[in-house]
Amino acid sequence: MNTADLDGSESGGRQVPVTATPDRPATAPSAPRRTPPTAGQPALVDNFREGVVVTDSTGVIREFSQPALTLMPGLLAGRTFAGCGVTPLTAGDLTIGERRVRCRRVDLTVAGDTSIAWYVEDVTDAIARSDALLAERGRARFLATASQQLGNPLHEDRAARAAVRLAVPTLGDVAIVVLATRRGRARWWRAGGDGPALVDGGVLSADELPPAVAQALAGTEPSEADWLADQLADVGWLGARKPGSVAVRVASLPGSASPTGALVVVRDTDLDEHDVQMLRGFAARAGAALDAAVLYRDQAEVAETLQASLAPIEPPRVGGVQWGAAYRPAQSSLRIGGDFYGAHEQSDGSALFYLGDVSGKGVDAAVFTGQIRQGIQALRRIESDPARLLTLLNDSVLETTRAHGHGRFATMVLGRAHPIHGGGLSLTLASGGHLPPVVLRADGAVETVDLRGMLVGVVPDPRIASVTVQLAPGETCLLFSDGVTEARGGVHGEQFGAARLVAALEGCQRMPAPALAERVEQVIGDWLGGRNHDDIAVFAIRAVASCVPARHLHAVPAP
Amino acid sequence: MTAVLDPVLEVAYPRYLHCLDEADENGAIDVALTLLDCGVSADRVLLSLVAPAQAQVGQWWQRNEWSVAQEHAATHISERVVAAVATTVRTRPTRERVVVACLDGEWHALPARLVAEVLRLDGWDVTFLGASVPSPHLVSYLHRHDPRAVLLACALPMRLPHAFRAIEACRRTDVPVLVGGRGFGSDGRWASKLGVAFATDARAASSVLATPAFDAPASPLSLDATEYDALVAARVELIDLVLDRLDLGRYSPTQVDATVADLGYIVDALAAAVYVDDPSLFGEFVGWMCEVLDSRGVPLHTVALTFDVMADRLRDFPRAHRFLLALRPAA
Repeated sequence: MNTADLDGSESGGRQVPVTATPDRPATAPSAPRRTPPTAGQPALVDNFREGVVVTDSTGVIREFSQPALTLMPGLLAGRTFAGCGVTPLTAGDLTIGERRVRCRRVDLTVAGDTSIAWYVEDVTDAIARSDALLAERGRARFLATASQQLGNPLHEDRAARAAVRLAVPTLGDVAIVVLATRRGRARWWRAGGDGPALVDGGVLSADELPPAVAQALAGTEPSEADWLADQLADVGWLGARKPGSVAVRVASLPGSASPTGALVVVRDTDLDEHDVQMLRGFAARAGAALDAAVLYRDQAEVAETLQASLAPIEPPRVGGVQWGAAYRPAQSSLRIGGDFYGAHEQSDGSALFYLGDVSGKGVDAAVFTGQIRQGIQALRRIESDPARLLTLLNDSVLETTRAHGHGRFATMVLGRAHPIHGGGLSLTLASGGHLPPVVLRADGAVETVDLRGMLVGVVPDPRIASVTVQLAPGETCLLFSDGVTEARGGVHGEQFGAARLVAALEGCQRMPAPALAERVEQVIGDWLGGRNHDDIAVFAIRAVASCVPARHLHAVPAP
Repeated sequence: MTAVLDPVLEVAYPRYLHCLDEADENGAIDVALTLLDCGVSADRVLLSLVAPAQAQVGQWWQRNEWSVAQEHAATHISERVVAAVATTVRTRPTRERVVVACLDGEWHALPARLVAEVLRLDGWDVTFLGASVPSPHLVSYLHRHDPRAVLLACALPMRLPHAFRAIEACRRTDVPVLVGGRGFGSDGRWASKLGVAFATDARAASSVLATPAFDAPASPLSLDATEYDALVAARVELIDLVLDRLDLGRYSPTQVDATVADLGYIVDALAAAVYVDDPSLFGEFVGWMCEVLDSRGVPLHTVALTFDVMADRLRDFPRAHRFLLALRPAA
């Protein structure tokens, strides 16, 4: 319909070309008036996608096109909409019958005669297409979020809980993940249950499992059956929901070898084909997440066992000696590194102690520290003198490193503490190329022990220095690794250095050994200010009164 | 000083402080275990003897009446007391496992340790990971053991940006996070700013953990960290600018180190305040620092000078500039 010579304004506010309006009379009333196109060429209008109904100002239908009639069967010229049994039109989005319609109203004034044109377009299909697109996007977004969040937890239970939490409400009103049975039992997690918790769970023995779930755990897609809901109700998963009023789907969660679990969704409405596809997509992601969690668990178990064998061991209780240790490996997630320390009680009541550092970093270095500690542990039974023990250890290490061809070496201080009659300790210290220890005297002074020596595991028969240090009760000898003095921090990443260590220890003579070791760790931590660091180890040996009184005096009268 | 009402505790408290003062570990343990023998409950011993004594020690240090070495020794002894009380009163865990840890760089472990023990007494299966736990270690622990929740302690507000990173890392393991400690503000206001659940004390923490709905990880929060990041990038430059204006020739090496550390704290506290967009964080820190410096005879005009130098450099940092101008101490 050509409106070039018509006049009016759309309900939407858009101005249409004007020739005459009631408030603005036509400038050329004598212009030749064209025949309304509908009259002459109905086919032209009838082939537009938009239909049109023209009424007069009172609402009586004057004419309409074919598409309008298709949308609103019953239209008759000369009657009102209501008179034809058709709901009157309004501008905007309407629903006529089962069709979605977009309707525009244009007021027309032609030569003083006012009429209303209603343009109606059937947009049902377009809306359905865009709805489908939006739904598809929604499903894609849901699966993307699920992938991301399911990948986070590396613990099986936690991943299962995340899966059920994510599945509700998009996939179902209730979601249950049943993990693959282990030793005849299957753990399950549920979201959307009746309890106050977001997620609850429990354990079922294999023969209690609903058959459909057992089937999914075995890797076969369970058939859809009405009694699926009854199976769930039997194990109490439906809560207050009635089996007859819900739709249930079960999917297996695929793993690398066999399914890692099964996913059950329960909802009030049935699942369409898209829902089922989304359920499968989600199940694939949840299965992969559980698979990764299981893999992580297995590997973490192995790593933990190995770590435990390489981590420093709590020093034994020895009369007259108080131990204090601090250890911070460079790779904080490993908790093991190339620094090591330890102590053993000798059969004569003295104590052997050591702190050292091996070349290299990380797991390899940690394994090497294990060999050295085992060496000391074995050799201390035949040799108690630190310098001679260190020489024996050197030979043993040299043999191992040559056999393996890895050229590793170590530095360490090895000492032996004898209780002195009347209190205090006599320390014999031997050094294999390690930083010299410091001693905190009772008056607060800090002395550096003059002790040098050659690396352990480099040459046969090395020069090992040895020195004796007397500790009065309350005095402490502190061994430390170069991770302490070489810690880079401050403003510009300068080394901590021995001078700062001595300054940090001054006035600390009254501190118990563990507090002292902790203090060094803390001072270094503050100095580093979050920077990376090498392995840091501190081992403090403090002379204390040898007969420690019983901790607890039982016969204390009530005050 | 915290009011100690119980007459038995009233007698024990000064004795306990005396033991801390003497660095007498066995004596301190005796005081605590005797209280248990007298029928005082373990959580009262922890919360009404050990905790207030530790707060007292902190105040003595702040007023320069105690050296940092004395404070460390006292803290260590209190830790031993907590351990002794815990081994004396063995409780069989009846509830789920929870993990308590101090964030990386947080050395004030005792408050967290007390929370851990009170939770243990409450029946929780508690794992205490200790002071300054590196995030990778914490995260791998959570992955491995899937606890009911992880409780993170932060004592220093200036560590908040780091705390938030660690909280995010924990949340990615899907384990619910509960935080505590004065680092989040006395009322936990910075915890709510960071969108994380906060408990004021051990008992509050226990009841939060007992809430079944305390589970789902909070939705990720988007903080505008642009100014914070820029401030962190300018940290070294800021410290150098102030150092240039000080007559360092008159300082001993230890004093230089202490000054550098203090300047670092000022920048860190300012950055944390910018991070949570709250000048009161910086204000509280400045008040505390001025008291500490004043008690050690450090003239406060150097602090004022520091503020002037930094404010001059940080003209393009709207929050930082505003905070510095508003909170500059009188010289």
